[in-house]
Order: sequence, then C-alpha cells, then structure tokens
Amino acid sequence: MKPRVAFFDFAGCEGCQLAVLNCEEVFLDLLEQVEIVEFREAMSETAHRIDIAFIEGSINREEDAQRLRDIRARSRILVALGACANMGNVQARANFTAPAEHFKRIYGSADRDRVQTDPRFWSLWAHTRVRAVHEIVAVDYRLRGCPMVAEEFLQLVKALISGAQPRQPANPVCVECRLHEFECAFDRGDTCLGQITWGGCAAVCIGQGYRCDGCRGLLPQANLAAHRQLLSERGLSDTDIRNRYRLFGSGEALGEEQRP
Amino acid sequence: MTASVAGEAAILDWIRTLGSRGPVFFPQKIGRQSLGFQPVRRESVLEFAGYHPTLAPPGKRLAPAVEVLFQYRSTPDRGLEFSPPPQPPGQILAGVRSCDLKAIHLMDRVNGAAPGDPLYLARRAGTTLLAVDCLQPCDTACFCAAVGSLGWRQGADLFLTPLEEAHYLMEALTPAGATLLAEAGFDPCPDPETHRRRAEARRANPFGRHWPVPVTELPTLLDHQWQSPVWSRHVERCFSCGTCNLVCPTCYCFDVRDDFDLAAPQEGQRQRSPDGCMLPGFAAVAGGHDFRPQPEGRQRHRVRRKFQYLGARHGGDSFCIGCGRCGRQCTAGIDIFAIVTDLIQHREMAP
Repeated sequence: MKPRVAFFDFAGCEGCQLAVLNCEEVFLDLLEQVEIVEFREAMSETAHRIDIAFIEGSINREEDAQRLRDIRARSRILVALGACANMGNVQARANFTAPAEHFKRIYGSADRDRVQTDPRFWSLWAHTRVRAVHEIVAVDYRLRGCPMVAEEFLQLVKALISGAQPRQPANPVCVECRLHEFECAFDRGDTCLGQITWGGCAAVCIGQGYRCDGCRGLLPQANLAAHRQLLSERGLSDTDIRNRYRLFGSGEALGEEQRP
Repeated sequence: MTASVAGEAAILDWIRTLGSRGPVFFPQKIGRQSLGFQPVRRESVLEFAGYHPTLAPPGKRLAPAVEVLFQYRSTPDRGLEFSPPPQPPGQILAGVRSCDLKAIHLMDRVNGAAPGDPLYLARRAGTTLLAVDCLQPCDTACFCAAVGSLGWRQGADLFLTPLEEAHYLMEALTPAGATLLAEAGFDPCPDPETHRRRAEARRANPFGRHWPVPVTELPTLLDHQWQSPVWSRHVERCFSCGTCNLVCPTCYCFDVRDDFDLAAPQEGQRQRSPDGCMLPGFAAVAGGHDFRPQPEGRQRHRVRRKFQYLGARHGGDSFCIGCGRCGRQCTAGIDIFAIVTDLIQHREMAP
C-alpha cells in the first residue's frame, strides 16, 4: 500500500506548500509512489490515519496547538515543513512584545482595553506566544528554510518511502558556497549569517549576490560569540547584530541574551 | 623537449582560441575581488598579471562537487546491474601556478595508490596542464617557498616562465605539451636554460613567508605537540564551517550517497561530494560515537594530515602546498601558517 501523506498549514504564507506543488517535473512521479490524503492547498478530503504528515506554519493559538496534537496522534511520521514550523520564523518576533501592546498597535487603545475586560475575548489570551511545532509535539524530521528547498523535500520523501535513513548533516551554508565556488559575502564587503546557519539550501541567496540571513536556523555547533565579534569588527552595532539574528531566529531566542 | 618564447598577448589569444575548441579553464574574475578557474570563451578577459590564488584550486576540476560513481538498476530476479559513469571530457587547465601544480601531483600520487581511484585517474588522463612560474609572491598570505612548492614543474605539460617585457618562456615537458606547442606556432627558443636561469635570478628572495625551521622537521615537532595549548588557542573563533578543507588543493575526503529516480525507482546512482574533517559530523560513526567532537581535535587532525600523516603514507615532505587559501578564506582569520609558527615557538619555550 502506498504511504499516506498529508499536508497541514498553520500560521504561515503557505509558500512551502506552494514549493511542494511547484515540483512539477516530478510531482506526478511522486503521486505514483504516495497517496496524498489531506492537502488543503490542493484538495478538500480529510484522513484518519496518516503515514507522513507535513506541518507548515507556526503555532500561534491554543486551538492550533490542539489541532496539531490531534494530527500528531493520527500520524506515524511528522515533518516540520519550513522555517515557520521549525523555528517560528519572522512572526516569532512578536514574542518580544507584550500581547496587549500588539492589540493596541493594531486595533487601538479602546479595543485593546475591551479584549482585556470582555470575557468573550479572554480565550485570545490563552496562549499568545508564537511557537515552533517541536515545542508542542515530537518532530521526526525537519525541512528547513523560508521557503523549504524542493530538492531536500524530495530527498526526504525518497528516503522515507524507500526505508533509507534520511541524512541532513549539520553543515553550515559556507559548505554550499565553497562547493558552488561563490565569493564569500564578507569578501564583497557584506556580512553574513552563513557560518552559523544550517546549510542544504545550495546557498541560493549568496549565489544571487545577496547574503545569508539565517532562514534555516541556528546550527547546534554555532560559535555565536565568535560570530558576534566578527559582525562587530565589520562595523555592525549591537542593535544591528541583534536585529540580524532576530529576523528569522527570534523563535530560537537568537540575540535574546542581548535584550535591553 | 621543445621550447618557445612568445608575448603575453599572443599567448592569451592562443588560450582563447583553445577555449573556443574545447573545455579550457583559466583564472578569471568571480564577484568583487576573487578569481576562479572558469571556462575560457572567445571573448574572455584573461591576464597573467594580478593573479592571486583562486577561490577553489584548479585540482577541483579533477574531483567535481557532485560526481556519479556508478548507475545501478535492479533486475526482476532481485539482482543488481551496475554501469560506470560516462567517460569525462578532456580539458585544459591553463594558468595553473606551481603550488597548485604540486598539489595535483600529490593528488595523482594519492589517487594512483592501489587500488587507485578510476574516476580521478580517467579525468586526470584527459587533462592537459599549462602551468606558470611565479617570480613574486602573489600576496602576503602565501608561503609556497616554505613548503617546497615554489618553482614546482612536475606534472605540467607546458611550463611558462615570465621573462622581461611581457614575454614568456614556454617549455614542453611532455609529448602532449610538445604537440600543443608545435600547433601554436610560436617562435622556437633554442636555449631555454639560459632564459630560465635569468628569470629565476629575478625571483624575489626570500620569497613569501618562512618558518624558522625547515618543513622536514615538522613531523617530529608535531609528534611532541599532541597536547599543546596551541590547538585550542587557534579554534576559539573557529566556526567549524569546513571552508579550510573545501578550498584546500590536497583535501580529498568525500561523502557518498545513493539517489534513485522517482519516475523509475528501480534505477539510481551512487554519487560522492567533498567532505571536510573540520565539519562537526565528519568523524561521527554508527552508534553515535564521535572521534573528534571538539574543534581543537579536528584542527590538530587537519594540521597533522597536511604536515605529517599524508607525507608519511604517500611520500613527500608536506601536503600543505602553501597557497594560503585556507587562511585567506577563513572568516575567523585562522591561518595554518600561524598555527605552525605557534607550534614552533611553543616547542622552543618548553623545557
């Protein structure tokens, strides 16, 4: 029987699911190997038993967390798909500000006060922190990046359906730059988060003349003290450094230690 | 063997002509300030002046970033059929400096040692090397003279020595080089020895950086430095990013993985890609044990590979060829020359 695969979206732009659909060249071949049982971006059915569940998006509300726990209970393998699911992505920057401040900024003081005093809105406060999937349920595999990398997605799926051990070495983006013979962003006068960020992205941003902003998350061995010192030597202020770290890395508390 | 003398412009024009006939690689600009061995086309901007070591060494053209080892196909009787990858195309690597030439020579030795690496050897057999001597250090990071790479000629098919007034002496060192030179039709040079001696007399002396001890003493010195504080001192800023390995002309470790075709799952290929001993997972084995979990242990391993292990196994004093790429491209500024300098000083301070 073909493995039953499902996709679920939480708080995110659905760009990772779109990236899956964009694997046009191999998508029909993939459908020969797996059965897609839930995929809101492409179909309306739901399933009770899932072999591989792909979770896209961060978990922002308690009702989302409940839905995620339900999915986990139905799934044999659960994969966090993309930066939102893996680390909260840019929306986790909200975690640095009190929720009442957000309500005020978006809806004004009167509504901010109302959601605090009217019991009908109190459920909004049950859980307001933006969370990654692994903070709520066990995650078996991760597909990092904003958006996820199609080639990595295919490699993981191929490994899972063939019974091979998926491999994602903890190598930084620098490895990709060296193998593609890209000039280092630092040699172009820029600064880069490549040394402390999970590779696997073919260093597309650096290859296109940009730098790495760390959308694939912090490596376990990241030498943050040295990296901060390097950025500082290259002229970045403490605030600049913190903002660079927090752009994608807020959910991982990157730069947290420098919080004013 | 034959020799010619020709002007720089004529030589570069000839290289461009060769590039319009088949794959030719020559150092060309990448990005803002870097060079790389890039394909030569009719309109390519080529020059010998302003050379500094390329991002990746030319030898990487003999070991691609992704190389297919073989194709496989499972048969209906649950067997497997294997087929070798197609024969690699021939190529000319032009503008190779002596340090990188020595590295290719060393890799020929490593890959030629029994049982031999057939893919490397096939690529190497189809490769013509057009090397250039250096009369000035290319920048402040290189130390080729300290490790015996300066003026290295072995392995080149054609060897160019800069003469005065933008002319070059071109010596054919192999039959392939002689054929190439004959086809080029430059003025023959009856007395290459005199030209070469005169050029070498103009060579900067001392040339680049030097240690206070000869490179031949390093294996013994390293034997006594297993627990040196120097190792941890030089990794405080290390990112374990593997750049030093991946740009090294004599690093050849690789990782292997299988890939199958979704459209035809019974068919696939095994491929290899460069790996590096400074990367954290390099020495991790089944069961979760890691032989070198700390960067200082990995750094010590890397330095000993270059100055001790490989020379002992394959012959030759130093597998570090002094190009300085690892230090130049390290964003943490970790320089293998400085590590060895520290080791020498530390030994001299020890009782």
